[in-house]
Amino acid sequence: MKLVGIVGTNAVKSTNRQLLQYMQRHFASTAELEICEIADLPAFNEPEQRDAPAAVQQLADQIEHADGVIFATPEYDHSIPAVLKSAIEWLSYTTRPLINKPVMVVGASYGSLGTSRAQAHLRQILEAPELKALVMPNVEYMLGHSLQAFDEQGDLVDQAKAQELDKDFQAFTEFVTLMQKITPQNKFFEETRQFSWSQLTAGKE
Amino acid sequence: MKFIGIVGTNARKSYNRQLLTYMQTHFQDQAEIEILELTDVPMFNESQDQTDSPVIQNFIQKITAADGVIVATPEHNHSLPSALKSLLEWLSFKAHPLDGKPVMIVGASYSVQGSSRVQLHLRQVLDAPGVGANVMPGSEFLLGRAHTAFDEQGNLKSSGTVDFLTSCFKKFMKFTKVVEAMNVPDEINYQPGTYDVTATGHNGELPMQVTLSKDRIENIQIDASTETEGIADVAFERIPKQIVDGQTLDVDAVSGASITSHGVIDGVAEAVKQAGADPDILKKRPKQTAAAKPAIKDLDTDVVVVGAGGAGLTAAAKILQSGKRVLVLEKFPAVGGNTVRAGGPMNAADPDWQRQFDAILGEKHTLKEITEIDEATIDPEYRPDFRALKDQINDYLQENTDQRGYLFDSKLLHRIQTYLGGKRRDLQGHKIYGQYDLVKELTDHALESVQWLEKIGVEFDKTQVTMPVGAIWRRGHKPMGDLGFAYIKTLKQYVTSHGGTIMTETDVTQLTTENGRVVGVQAQGVDHQELAVHAQAVILASGGFAANTKMLKQYNTYWTNIDDDIKTTNSPAMTGDGIRLATAVGADLVGMGFSQMMPVSDPDTGELFSGLQVPPQNYVMINQQGKRFVNEYGSRDQLTQAAIDNGSLFYLLADDEIKKTAYNTTQAKIDQQVEAGTLFRADTLEDLARQIKVDPDTLVKTVHDYNSYVDAGDDPEFHKNAFDLKVKVAPFYATPRKPATHHTMGGLKIDTGAHVLTAGGTAIDGLYAAGEVAGGIHAGNRLGGNSLADIFTFGRIAATSALADELAVTD
Repeated sequence: MKLVGIVGTNAVKSTNRQLLQYMQRHFASTAELEICEIADLPAFNEPEQRDAPAAVQQLADQIEHADGVIFATPEYDHSIPAVLKSAIEWLSYTTRPLINKPVMVVGASYGSLGTSRAQAHLRQILEAPELKALVMPNVEYMLGHSLQAFDEQGDLVDQAKAQELDKDFQAFTEFVTLMQKITPQNKFFEETRQFSWSQLTAGKE
Repeated sequence: MKFIGIVGTNARKSYNRQLLTYMQTHFQDQAEIEILELTDVPMFNESQDQTDSPVIQNFIQKITAADGVIVATPEHNHSLPSALKSLLEWLSFKAHPLDGKPVMIVGASYSVQGSSRVQLHLRQVLDAPGVGANVMPGSEFLLGRAHTAFDEQGNLKSSGTVDFLTSCFKKFMKFTKVVEAMNVPDEINYQPGTYDVTATGHNGELPMQVTLSKDRIENIQIDASTETEGIADVAFERIPKQIVDGQTLDVDAVSGASITSHGVIDGVAEAVKQAGADPDILKKRPKQTAAAKPAIKDLDTDVVVVGAGGAGLTAAAKILQSGKRVLVLEKFPAVGGNTVRAGGPMNAADPDWQRQFDAILGEKHTLKEITEIDEATIDPEYRPDFRALKDQINDYLQENTDQRGYLFDSKLLHRIQTYLGGKRRDLQGHKIYGQYDLVKELTDHALESVQWLEKIGVEFDKTQVTMPVGAIWRRGHKPMGDLGFAYIKTLKQYVTSHGGTIMTETDVTQLTTENGRVVGVQAQGVDHQELAVHAQAVILASGGFAANTKMLKQYNTYWTNIDDDIKTTNSPAMTGDGIRLATAVGADLVGMGFSQMMPVSDPDTGELFSGLQVPPQNYVMINQQGKRFVNEYGSRDQLTQAAIDNGSLFYLLADDEIKKTAYNTTQAKIDQQVEAGTLFRADTLEDLARQIKVDPDTLVKTVHDYNSYVDAGDDPEFHKNAFDLKVKVAPFYATPRKPATHHTMGGLKIDTGAHVLTAGGTAIDGLYAAGEVAGGIHAGNRLGGNSLADIFTFGRIAATSALADELAVTD
């Protein structure tokens, strides 16, 4: 199984990156997890032309060719970081590779809540009609106190948290397989891959 | 009433902008609304703070001055546009202008929904602790199908919509008054007394005494004996003063000492709490702001020195010795640069002094190896010196064939070792080695630098000759007192007491030129004061760029990889400023691809001073499997590469006897670090092994083998060159280490007179460089102890040249 993991921040030091790196190593026998950075994407500014800039196109292609996507998000001010939102806006505004794509949301935070509110926002965002991702229900993986969560080798210190992730990841791979069976017959047919907020109502007036 | 209206998108066409513009006109009799655009707000990045950029400062100042804020947001993917989120992240990072501010949310969208979901998200965001806005409850103004809502004059067509917007706005004006009443500062009452609290400093807990009267913080006393001298001093003086002067806890951390600064602030907050008052009230009290300043201040001097580290202060002292004026500009709050972080000993061959000491095991072998080097591998300009050195060594070895002998040294040995130590190939196969004339200048005059420093007032410990890590030979002159700070303390005292001026927190922004001559600098001083300094000469002594990872990576041609989050042993001030300043006036660069890692750095801070740092003959390095992995006497590159190959993290092993040879610590510091878990101590090797998570049997065997090599004077495994103590007396210690960036060898191209050269090889009039900002000497790798020799020697040379060329003063 081929997955893409998106580091939801542009910070140099990120425990979400660390979490994805851990998952990449730890689940190597189950899935190939490619880690994508969004730090160098341009800031989204709703341009007239709906062509994806090269860096966005590259990310879109990686998502397109993957069986599923894992978002690792920090929480800034009760929501997802602007830089992650910007990446998602580009995807929703240009090539829309997340349509029908199975998605798992994880998050790490320095505090104890482990990005609970950012994850809730991210779910709502990914389910917007412009994106139409298939976010896996029921599973929320939140890693609190993330600065203390990894040992020198980058492994999770807390066995219970490691086992929880094993289970959640297992569930996600099953979810991906299941969705692959359903989606070809699925009626989510998109007339156009391009989208803008002004089109949202155009056909429905 | 004055409000700020924020257009929540950076799109060129926006109905939210239209809505705010409509409100601005429609409500102009009731309130003034100034509209701010997001267009130029950079993407938030916690690793690249831009709070001080003009665009963010504009938002901060205008929001702070306003009575309230109106945010008009579109809805993108059920949530906030990233551009608006980015602004709010900036406004909740270092500055918090929205804290307590009344905020009204409005939104326009194409759909019937009219931004219903984004408004809920935005409320949650504005309510986050870092933002802390007071969002008006209820009265959600949602403008659906916005593209049909305005007429050609930009007015809302529907009178019902206008009425609702008007009622929402009226309610917001009322809400603003209510919030204003809520924001009136609370009275504060302390239980008078003196409170003993602790502040968390860089090296652990600092005892503090805070004296409070009924309504004032009267006095703050800090026992800072465990902190690194020089670096944190400013924090201990300035933070308490600002707290007492302003009766506020909203005080900016001193750059370079932020942990200590916050430690002091938190300590005072704790005392306030113990005295029955709420420290949050003090945190909300306004900052002390400086008085208005003139536009540009002109300063006149003979020589400007950029950087107040060892090289800069040496140059300044030398200028003053000739009776000329000098102005030293330092961008950091404290003087000392990297020199205060140096281990202490400086290299200078002083054979008459060194021969008082017995040779130690392995040294003769090292000398013999030098004589066995194939002359064809020595670059031509060094060959005559190499031959002369071989003769010296052979005479010495013959003289001491049957006895242990004394410690040998000579200028030639220092020169050849500096040359050999610096000879490297980079990843592309380019060879580099120290420029002969510069290396000769350094090794010929290093001892004079020691003598000059003694005259200035630096005392050296003549009873021991030391070898800093990676020095290859014992020729270190160790100052009495506190490591690198000993030089700085004395030089600073000399400069200030002989009429020199040192301006700290003054950042040189560019060199001023006139007809190709450097005639001064432009700088920004405390509180952004612009300075124009006029002088006959400028000496750059601003250090290297080891704290500028981006620049390191940009030039690097030596290491296969430099991590983005690599730590540095350097002061955070070392960002390559002098290189930027001089290349802007045509200076050439040399050897920029080569940088040095300090293999024995603190894994968390990059510091050298933590744990137990002992002479290399007493080093026992073990990897994460509990095994030795390298010749501990090897060069820094060998140690670094070996560490990287073993997963970067490794440990320095010591017993109670080896501990006594540590030159960086005290028992109190050791106990503190053991307590903090940054240094491991155990009564048995087995227990130590368990603490550092290695197999006890492996560690015991490693130590057993090592001790047998010490007895035999030979290490068949890694061929360690010299030994001293065995690991046998409990308690045992393990100091965790990792490589960190340490020295940038490349820099400005200079000649033996420290003149800065252009690519054409001509000197730039009026411009000189000394120390790590210059390149060409250490080439691919610098011997330990040579940086201090370099700064004190070339610092003097730069001053001598400036005096001779520009001020007609000769020795």
